[in-house]
Amino acid sequence: MSVPSSRVLRALLKSRSGFAGSVLVGVLVLSALVSLVWTPYDPTLARPQDSWLLPLSGGHVLGTDRLGRDELSQLLTGARSTLRTALLAAAIAAVVGLALALAAVLVPRWIGAAVVQFTDVLIAFPVLLIAMILTAVYGGSTWTAVTAIGVGAGVNVARVARAEAGRVLGTDYVLAAHAAGSGTWRTVRRHVLPNIAPTLIVQLSLVLSVAVLAEAALSYLGFGTPPPAVSWGRMLHEQQSYITARPLLVIWPGLAVVCSVLGFNLLGDGLREAADARLRVRELQEVPGA
Amino acid sequence: MTLYVLRRAGLLVVSLFAASVLIFLVLRLLPGDVAQTIGGIKATPTQVAAVRHDLGLDRPLTAQYGSWIGGVVTGDFGRSVLDGTSVSGQLAEKFAVTGPLAVGAVLLALGFAVPLGVLAAVRRDSRLGGAVNALGQLGIALPTLWVGLLLVVVFAVQVRWLPAQGFPVDGWDEPGRALRSLVLPWLTLALSEGAVLLRFVRSAVLDVLHQDWLRTARAKGHTRTSALLRHGLRNAAVPVVSVLGLQIAALVAGAVVVEQVFVLPGVGQMLITDVGNRDLDKVQGEILLLTGAVLVIGFVVDLVHRLIDPKLRSAV
Amino acid sequence: MRRSTALRLAATAVLAGLAATACGTGSADDPANAGQTNQAAEPVDVDTGATVDVRLVLEPTSLDIATTAGAALDQILLDNIYQGLLTRDENNKVKPSLATSYDESSDGLTYTFRLAENATFHDGAKVTAADAVWSLKQVTAKGSKNPDAAALASVKSVSATDDHTVVVKLKHRDTGLTWGLTGRAGIVFKKGTDFSTLVGKENGTGPFKLSGWKRGSSITFVRNDAYWGEKAKVAKVVFQYIKDDNAANNAQQTGQTDIETAVDATLLQPFSDRRKYTVLRGDTTDKFTLALNNAAGPTKDLRVRRAIRQAIDKPGLIKTLGGAAVQVGGPVPATDPGYEGLTSIDAYDPENAKELLRQAGYGDGLKLTVKIPNIYPAEIGDYLASQLKQVGIELTVRQVEFQTWLDAVYTKHDYQLSLVDHAEARDLSNFANPDYYFGYDNANVQKWYAAAQTASGDSERDALLKKAARQVSEDAAADWLFVNQTLTVVRSGVTGVPRNFTSNRYDLANLAVAKK
Repeated sequence: MSVPSSRVLRALLKSRSGFAGSVLVGVLVLSALVSLVWTPYDPTLARPQDSWLLPLSGGHVLGTDRLGRDELSQLLTGARSTLRTALLAAAIAAVVGLALALAAVLVPRWIGAAVVQFTDVLIAFPVLLIAMILTAVYGGSTWTAVTAIGVGAGVNVARVARAEAGRVLGTDYVLAAHAAGSGTWRTVRRHVLPNIAPTLIVQLSLVLSVAVLAEAALSYLGFGTPPPAVSWGRMLHEQQSYITARPLLVIWPGLAVVCSVLGFNLLGDGLREAADARLRVRELQEVPGA
Repeated sequence: MTLYVLRRAGLLVVSLFAASVLIFLVLRLLPGDVAQTIGGIKATPTQVAAVRHDLGLDRPLTAQYGSWIGGVVTGDFGRSVLDGTSVSGQLAEKFAVTGPLAVGAVLLALGFAVPLGVLAAVRRDSRLGGAVNALGQLGIALPTLWVGLLLVVVFAVQVRWLPAQGFPVDGWDEPGRALRSLVLPWLTLALSEGAVLLRFVRSAVLDVLHQDWLRTARAKGHTRTSALLRHGLRNAAVPVVSVLGLQIAALVAGAVVVEQVFVLPGVGQMLITDVGNRDLDKVQGEILLLTGAVLVIGFVVDLVHRLIDPKLRSAV
Repeated sequence: MRRSTALRLAATAVLAGLAATACGTGSADDPANAGQTNQAAEPVDVDTGATVDVRLVLEPTSLDIATTAGAALDQILLDNIYQGLLTRDENNKVKPSLATSYDESSDGLTYTFRLAENATFHDGAKVTAADAVWSLKQVTAKGSKNPDAAALASVKSVSATDDHTVVVKLKHRDTGLTWGLTGRAGIVFKKGTDFSTLVGKENGTGPFKLSGWKRGSSITFVRNDAYWGEKAKVAKVVFQYIKDDNAANNAQQTGQTDIETAVDATLLQPFSDRRKYTVLRGDTTDKFTLALNNAAGPTKDLRVRRAIRQAIDKPGLIKTLGGAAVQVGGPVPATDPGYEGLTSIDAYDPENAKELLRQAGYGDGLKLTVKIPNIYPAEIGDYLASQLKQVGIELTVRQVEFQTWLDAVYTKHDYQLSLVDHAEARDLSNFANPDYYFGYDNANVQKWYAAAQTASGDSERDALLKKAARQVSEDAAADWLFVNQTLTVVRSGVTGVPRNFTSNRYDLANLAVAKK
């Protein structure tokens, strides 16, 4: 897929969800960047005397947790882990997914069938379990989580992309193009990739959000990003026992996760709409020349 | 078609075999073993080594795999080294919680995702469609565990309509209490699964609405709704069925989290405990059965796929 | 206007969520003083048909108490199902059990135990001296798999002089023998029992019988109506295993449990109504021990170990955890023999800690990793990292599964710092064993500890143990963050609830419920 051209970008910002998504993701990126140079307090500094301050007290905008750490500083710093996990996981998923999908539809049938089966075996594995096992062996780290989430999501991407690619390859115009002597790679480049792109974009935007959610779930179960790195999932993990006493502390990181996931999803929708528009234009242009 | 089914079934057997090898080897990567669990922190290394020998954990891996898979072929999925319970028995016991949880959640999710998804697609340019779509977006963005925690706070701690967590000790012998303790887990799981489905239903129906033949059908005098109902939904069902198949594996993972949040004694909790104890004989049986179930469901989904997609039936 | 539909919806939903939950925010009482040590007297009108539901935390992995380690087995099985020759009272003092009395010879080398004459196993067979001799010999036999075998290491021979008298002869004096017999090593099994059949059943002698085990959920005991001693006052006890503190609180509030053990001190607010609940505060021997590898790495240097100890503000940590803990300063808790207050050794002094690190050559900073099993509150690791950062140590916290900890830290000694709750009572021996994972090797400590074991009386023993414990603390062989106290919430109407050492054993003998 090519880099979004300025036209796509304009289309993206014009679309309702594209705009909202860009704003939310923008906030996420901005938080991560700001936290690199400034946070109100040291996000990991425990101050027992400031335990469980309410919002707007003692100079803490969002209050403090049980250890007396500043909530806002933790939220800002946590954006870094979230962004890193999401992007790396999506990159792995895209590579794994596309490779497996194309391998399945393009190579000789018996290898393709084997790839399909292998993908299905991997899909059948619960991702969370793979992640748990990996963390047990190699210790909890961002990389373990990212690999598990990326591969786990990648095989799902592969399955959907494969179905789409299969559908495209079966359509009349591709069969016609093939009959007219169009080579395999040319077919892939000119017909398969553009046609599965919208689905792929939706899938990858889902992977971004799934990665954020999965990181939260893994950290919640105690298998995620280790301290001293700050992660929203870990914040949820540490606060969830006190949800009856201090519900607000569970609200903040939860909201942060929701906004990031929402942002990635809306951005994906916007991209899809923009890509759809471009696709329609191109199809129209190509018809006379075909 | 028969040939396809046979070939597909053959592949299923091969995948099951591959899965068993993979499971066996991956579990052997884990540090520590069940002998150390039995010995704890007071046993001497000699004592632990003796336990290891008694359990046959010092045999070569091939021998251990062989004796396990030999049992599996004859229908014996193994036993817990620690408490002697059988894998199939324990899974059946835990599925009494996880099964209803997952099935109920999927039905609930389909119940609201399909009509809302179609609505959101058909009325995509109206206020209503936009609102439904926005709700779906929000639903997808909610972390399952967070929703669970919030539901507990609101419905169990604040207004006290439903039990917060746990499952009755006597299980389904107390159907009323058992059902009540599943209400919040169902809602939690259905919300996250349903939101994903809603998105796919909407996107599939939108795709169908763009197709040329639908325009043709409308040109022939069908209204948009009747054209969609007559031809569209069947076509839109293809990717949806495909996604549903995927969701079943995701559902198992979702169930692990939901069981943790609501402290339900289901398959997820059992797996976490057994992995923690390094009761590998039991874990490998459990994962193989679970993976096998997902593979078989994938097999069925593929067959259904072919039945409802006319293009696939002729191609490949 | 239409552009923002999605956002507005999101905002509305979020606000609704806030409104719904914000009302739960209340100021908690000062938890530091929560909990009482006395409970109501047993009611006149006892409901002997009552069922009591008890929340416990850790489920046993197996019920084979003869070979499978784990405090979770001791907790429910000892005293209730299985009985030893001796047992412990609620203050961890030795008292008779299946042996109704015992004598020690003046040279301390011969112990004579007289068994209760009417005691029976749950299968109906009479308990005889032959059963007791056979059971003890299983522990002392070569190749014994009993994890407590070391407790009877001093035993030379065991014999029965008649049907109800057991004579134990020792190689040398052993001040720890009677204590050892209160644990697993002293359990009387029926002669010839195949322990491997005990993984999911039992044949004990106690006032309760096992009725069912729903793995991952609960274990149920019923009263043994044929019990040889005073019969239990409740018909049925259900142990419900709930790890999550919040879930456990919910269960207690909704009446699913009658007794909630191990309550989080910061979460007592729902139980402030004294008419409905009693909160009991009890002692434990749970020493949260920060192991500092004495044998390898930067912590081999005494100055680094002392700096780490001085960098951690223990009262601050205890306050953070809700106040249900006490400072200890050394390896012996107040309820064990050999205790003395040692908190002044390496007290909190971050400036001096920096100086010590500078002397040790780490003035420019030091990177360390602590391995913590993930069963403990994650905040402890965060707190340690935060405290050590103040003196220039960058601490990475690795939360690992307990099994991984056993393999890497306990077995292979592959660690720099490690945090574990050493819950066992009277476990100073770990510092007298240079092969233990602490890697602490001090000949004097080993000599004093050995002398304490063979001392001629308790006062001589205690003096030696004190000397050893002080030396261990002065050598900064480890750091002791705190000794836990345990809180139990009891529904009103339930009495005779265990208060102390509840995670080591949970004696149900006095448990009673008032008739409604």
